[in-house]
Amino acid sequence: MTVGSAPSRWTLAARLVVLAAVLAAALVGAVRLGATSLSTGAVLRAVAGRGDPTVVTIVRALRLPRAVQAALVGAALAASGATFQALLRNPLADPYVLGVSSGAAAGAVFTIATGLAARSALALPAAAFAGAAGTMLLVLRIAAGVGRALDARVLLLAGVATSSFLVAAVWLALSFADVEAVRSAVFWMMGSHAGATWGSVGALGLCLAPALAALLALARPLNLLAVGEATAAHLGARVERTKLVAFGVATLLAAASVAASGTIGFVGLVVPHAVRLVWGSDHRALLPAAALAGATFLVAADTVARTAAGATELPVGVVTAFVGVPFFVWLLRRPGAA
Amino acid sequence: MFSPQATRLRRAARLALGACVLAATRCGDRRAAAAPAAGRPAAITVTDDGGRPVHLAGPARRVVCLIPSATETLVALGAADRLVGRTRYDVAPEVAALPSVGGGLDPSVEAIVALRPDLVLGWENDRRGEVREKLASLGIPVFSLRTEDTVDVFRNLAAIGRLAGRDSAAAAVAASIHHDFDAVRRSVAGRPRPRVFYVVSNDPPMTAGPQTFVAQLVGLAGGQSIFPDVRQSWPTVSMEEIVRRAPDLVVVPRGERSRNEVPGTALAELRARGGWRDVGAVRAGHVVTVDENLVNRPGPHVGEAARALRAVLHPELAAAAAGR
Repeated sequence: MTVGSAPSRWTLAARLVVLAAVLAAALVGAVRLGATSLSTGAVLRAVAGRGDPTVVTIVRALRLPRAVQAALVGAALAASGATFQALLRNPLADPYVLGVSSGAAAGAVFTIATGLAARSALALPAAAFAGAAGTMLLVLRIAAGVGRALDARVLLLAGVATSSFLVAAVWLALSFADVEAVRSAVFWMMGSHAGATWGSVGALGLCLAPALAALLALARPLNLLAVGEATAAHLGARVERTKLVAFGVATLLAAASVAASGTIGFVGLVVPHAVRLVWGSDHRALLPAAALAGATFLVAADTVARTAAGATELPVGVVTAFVGVPFFVWLLRRPGAA
Repeated sequence: MFSPQATRLRRAARLALGACVLAATRCGDRRAAAAPAAGRPAAITVTDDGGRPVHLAGPARRVVCLIPSATETLVALGAADRLVGRTRYDVAPEVAALPSVGGGLDPSVEAIVALRPDLVLGWENDRRGEVREKLASLGIPVFSLRTEDTVDVFRNLAAIGRLAGRDSAAAAVAASIHHDFDAVRRSVAGRPRPRVFYVVSNDPPMTAGPQTFVAQLVGLAGGQSIFPDVRQSWPTVSMEEIVRRAPDLVVVPRGERSRNEVPGTALAELRARGGWRDVGAVRAGHVVTVDENLVNRPGPHVGEAARALRAVLHPELAAAAAGR
């Protein structure tokens, strides 16, 4: 991985404008397509609150929040994945590498098995978020206890070990739960944006905006860290502080996404790599580009998940993998990609 | 095991029952229609199985049903024309033409909203309540049903009858179920009760707990479950324990496929699996099938389901009846 020659400010701006335009197109497509397909005109009228009240409800209360949530989660996962890959200098790192998804699953399954989730709509996302954040703290604590704090290798191992333990705890709980609880838990673990509301979108946006800003501010030190910690220290980056903030923010992004829509694989792992393959690994360009590409990808994947099999929704993670893997393999095989 | 003739007979019986119920409903409605003077329907309030009162301005006219047994109930009440949506599991000819909204627990909320229902019948057992909250926030009344035992069947029947303005039809269906239950119970009184393992799933083995309608129907039809001591509704049990408790009979519910199935396929399938071939009843070929869509649905056809179970638990009675 090389930092490479930085693209000019104008090239960067032009790329981001193109990506933003593609995202906007994906959002329009997401709001137009569904059980009843709507014209762009009907969508615009419905957004303004005019026209058939059923269509207004479908657009304003169902499709829009869902599409916006998919975009926010896609952006969060891709930016988070790019950050983890730089911090851990490991191409297999993804947003869940510190046990965020299994921590969230433990929290979610707890509320499902105890019946809390059925009593309050807030219980499950709150518990999932708490589980994810708690797991990150635990992993950091374990890694710190080993000696050198924030050692990439130790963190990875602590994350994998904690994850395995929590997954076992989840299956233990589910083997004593009844059929309905198991079914609900499995639906949750497959990941979906079906539960999106303006409330959940607002909460996610409030987390996402400052987190993305913080990561962008850390883009230069992340460039140095991706090369190697010794080099970064030589070049004057405050290594430990940068790493701690970046770990915290990237995990927060992943935790908020999981709490909103369950575990969605592949986006956080592969979207950053795809952007790197095309435009290089300067984090000043990579982070915003990955966020926009991740948002577009997940909005499109969710639209396919909603519409491909009629009223039966496919798990969005199935679509991200089925569409994303062939595309990624094509990217890898392009001449000069490696 | 149902031969094609028996299936046809069963269908005919079901149709005849439906016609009777329909006739009863029509009369009931005429009487009911005479009651309100101005012709304006009276508002309806019924408390659902989650304890939530559900208010309707009048009998529901556009119903989306997320529970197959509730769909069957509406059809049995002569209110099939009130249904505007079904799940992908509803395949009865009366409702097959309706648009599907997906699964019962994970329906497409958008597809439901697009059907403009004035009532949604949903699952109280849903452990997340996401669909219910979403629909409720959009102003669509949701009535949640929990169906576990036969008492629930009668309560749900009455509730759906009230919501659809078909109280008298609901009473007629309930009476016909009671009649079936009594007849089945009387016919098996004093006979030996075969010890039964009812296969909800064969890998891992899962059965019906004693508080479920399935176990109650097995008891009514003159059998007894070999797992009367489990607490869960649909427990997973160990193969070893099934072998140890040695059922006299293994009952396998079969779906659509069973209609054209070669007799003995269910037995062959169990024998092909490790563990099952060590169960004495399987070794001796004492494996029988029942129609899954009949016996696994706690709806208006539970009377028929009790008869179907009796037919496999006490085949000697069916033979005697046929000989008469």
